[in-house]
Amino acid sequence: MVLQIEHLTGGYSKTPVIHDVSLNINKGEIVGLIGLNGAGKSTTIKHILGLLRPHSGEIRVDGITIGENAEDYRRHLAYIPETPVLYEELTLKEHIQMTAMAYGIGEETALERAGDLLKIFRLDTKINMFPTHFSKGMKQKVMLVCAFLARPDLYIIDEPFLGLDPLGIDSLIDLMVEERNGGRSILMSTHILATAEKYCDRFAIIDNGKMVAEGSLDALRDEFNMHGASLDEVYLKITGGGIDNA
Amino acid sequence: MPDTLFKPRMNADIKRRSYYSKFIFNSHFLIFLTIAGGVFLYSLLGLLQTLESSIWLDMIAALLMSMLLLPGYRSLLKPADGIFLLPYETRMDAYFKDAGRYSLMLGISKVITGAVVALLILTVGHDTFVISLFLLLSLLHYIANFHINKRAINTQISRIGMTPVLFIVNILSLMLVLQHPAWLVLSLILLFAMGKYVKRREHRYLDWNAYIEHEEVQLNRYYRNVSMFTNVSHLEKQFKRRKYLDPLLWKPKGASFNKEKMYEFLFYRTFARDHDLPMIILRLIILFGIIMVWMGNIYLSVVIGLFGIYVIVLQMSQIYSAQAYLLWPKVWPVDRTFIQRSYVTYSHKSVFVISLIFGIIFAAIHPALFYIAVVFPVWGYLTNRIFSRTVYKKEQELSD
Repeated sequence: MVLQIEHLTGGYSKTPVIHDVSLNINKGEIVGLIGLNGAGKSTTIKHILGLLRPHSGEIRVDGITIGENAEDYRRHLAYIPETPVLYEELTLKEHIQMTAMAYGIGEETALERAGDLLKIFRLDTKINMFPTHFSKGMKQKVMLVCAFLARPDLYIIDEPFLGLDPLGIDSLIDLMVEERNGGRSILMSTHILATAEKYCDRFAIIDNGKMVAEGSLDALRDEFNMHGASLDEVYLKITGGGIDNA
Repeated sequence: MPDTLFKPRMNADIKRRSYYSKFIFNSHFLIFLTIAGGVFLYSLLGLLQTLESSIWLDMIAALLMSMLLLPGYRSLLKPADGIFLLPYETRMDAYFKDAGRYSLMLGISKVITGAVVALLILTVGHDTFVISLFLLLSLLHYIANFHINKRAINTQISRIGMTPVLFIVNILSLMLVLQHPAWLVLSLILLFAMGKYVKRREHRYLDWNAYIEHEEVQLNRYYRNVSMFTNVSHLEKQFKRRKYLDPLLWKPKGASFNKEKMYEFLFYRTFARDHDLPMIILRLIILFGIIMVWMGNIYLSVVIGLFGIYVIVLQMSQIYSAQAYLLWPKVWPVDRTFIQRSYVTYSHKSVFVISLIFGIIFAAIHPALFYIAVVFPVWGYLTNRIFSRTVYKKEQELSD
C-alpha cells in the first residue's frame, strides 16, 4: 500500500474541513480525487503533504507517518500544485538541479531524465531561462518535469490539466500511464471528469468534507444503480448536482 | 462612497508607517543618527566658518534642494478600485484632493531637513532676502512639481523622462535665483510652461490602471526602503537574470551535489539575481566608506564602519526569510535545518568579504593603526551569528 489515510479529520483551524476521511492507494494505481469547489480535496492533499496537522486520524506513505520520519515520508512523494510555484531567481536548469539535490539524484542522471521530459513538453530550448517569465501552461510543464524526474512512489497532482495545451495534456496522460505501468501511483484531483474516467483506476468522491463514495467506475455504477452511466452522471447524482452545496 | 473612502485608507497607511518606524528607528539607529547628525552639523558649521562665498556653494545648496523637491504621489488606490470605483469616476474629486494633501505632507520632512542644511550653506555670501527667495521658490517648486507629477500619471508622458526634466528645471531655477533675484521670472515661466504641457496631454478620463500601477510602484518602493532595516513580508521580490554573473556562481559538484548544499546553491543565486539587494549593499558600502573617510577620526571611523556592517547584515537576513517560508522547503524531503546551516555558511562568507572591504577602507585611512581593522570581520561574524539566530527563532515560531 503506497498511501493509507485512516479516519482523517482536519482543516486549517480548529474547525474541521474534512471529516473521517479514509482512502488507500495501491502500487501502480491512478486514483482520481473528485469533488466540488470547497469539498475538501485541497485540504486532503495538504494533509497528505504534511502542510496541515490532522485533528485526528493517520496518514501513512509507504508505511511510515510524517511524525516517524519526515524526510523519508516526503522522499516517496512528489507534488504538483494547481498553481505553479517556482523560484523567481532560478533558471529552468537550476530548478532541475535543486529537485535532484532534494531527492538525492546525481546531477547527470537528473539532467538525462530531465532531457527526455523537456523534449516531451517542448521546453528543451529554454533550459537557461527563468521559468517565471513563461506562460502559465509552460510553468505547469516545469512543475511536471521537476516532479517526474524525481520518480517517487506517489505523485500528488492537483488539477493536472489546468492551463495545459492539448499536446501537453496528451503528453501528461502518456507519462502518467507510463509511471503507473512502472509501479508508481498517482493521486490526482480534477474536475475534468471525462479524461479522469478514461485513465483513473479508481475514484474517491469527496463532498462537504466527507468521503461519500470510493471505487472503480463499475463499482460506483453498481453501488448507485446507474448502469452505463458516465462518471459525470454518477458524480452529479452522488453530490446532488451541487444543489446542497451552493 | 468615495468621499469616505480615503480616510480609512490613510489611517491604514499611517498605521503601517508607524509599525515599520518602530523597527527602523530602534535604539541602535537613534544613537547612530544622533552621533552622525551631531558630527555632521559640527563639521559643517566649522567648515562654513572657513569658507568664502563661491558658485560651488550655491551649486551644492541648489543640488541638495533639487533632489528633495520631487514629491511622490500616493493615491492609495487598490487594484479592485479599477473595477468597483469605475461608476464613481466623476465623484472622485474629494478623494484625489485628500490624496494630494496626504502625499504632500508625506514628503515635507525631507524638504524641511534639506532646507535647514541649504540655509546654513547659503549664509555664506547671501543676504536674508536672497535666502528667503530661495526657500520660497523651493516651496513653489515642491508644490508645482507635485501637481505636474500627479497629472503626468494620467498621460502618455514617460515617467523615466519626467523626473530628470523636473530635476533640471529645479536646479536651474534655484541656481539662477541665487545669482540674481530677477531670474525668478524665468522660473515661474518654466513651471507654468511645464504645467501647461502636461495638462494638455492629460487623458479626458481617468487612466485607472496607470494610477493603480503607480500606487503599487510607490508602495513597493516604500517597502524596499523599509527592508533596508527590517524584514518586510509584503515586499514583492523582483529578480534580474544577470547572465554575466553565472560563471561566478558557486555550484556543488560530485559528492557535494546533495541536499546539504542545495540551499547554499540557492542563496548565492538569490543574492546575485535580486533586483535591488546587491546594489543596495554596494551603495551602503560606498556611503559608509565616504562617511568614514570624511570623519577622519579613528573612533568615529570604527563606529561608522561597525554600524555599516550591522545595517548590511540586516539586509542579508531578508534572503533567509524569503526562502524559509516558501512551499518547496516544506514539501521536499530535506530537513529544514539544512536551510539554516546553508544560510550560516553563505552569510558568514558574504559578511566576511564585506567586513574585509570595511577593514581595507579603515586601513587606508589610518595606515599606522591598520591592525584595528580586525574588529570589522569579528563584528561581522558576531552580528551575523546573532541575527541568524533571531531569524531562525522567528521562523520556528511561525512554523508552529
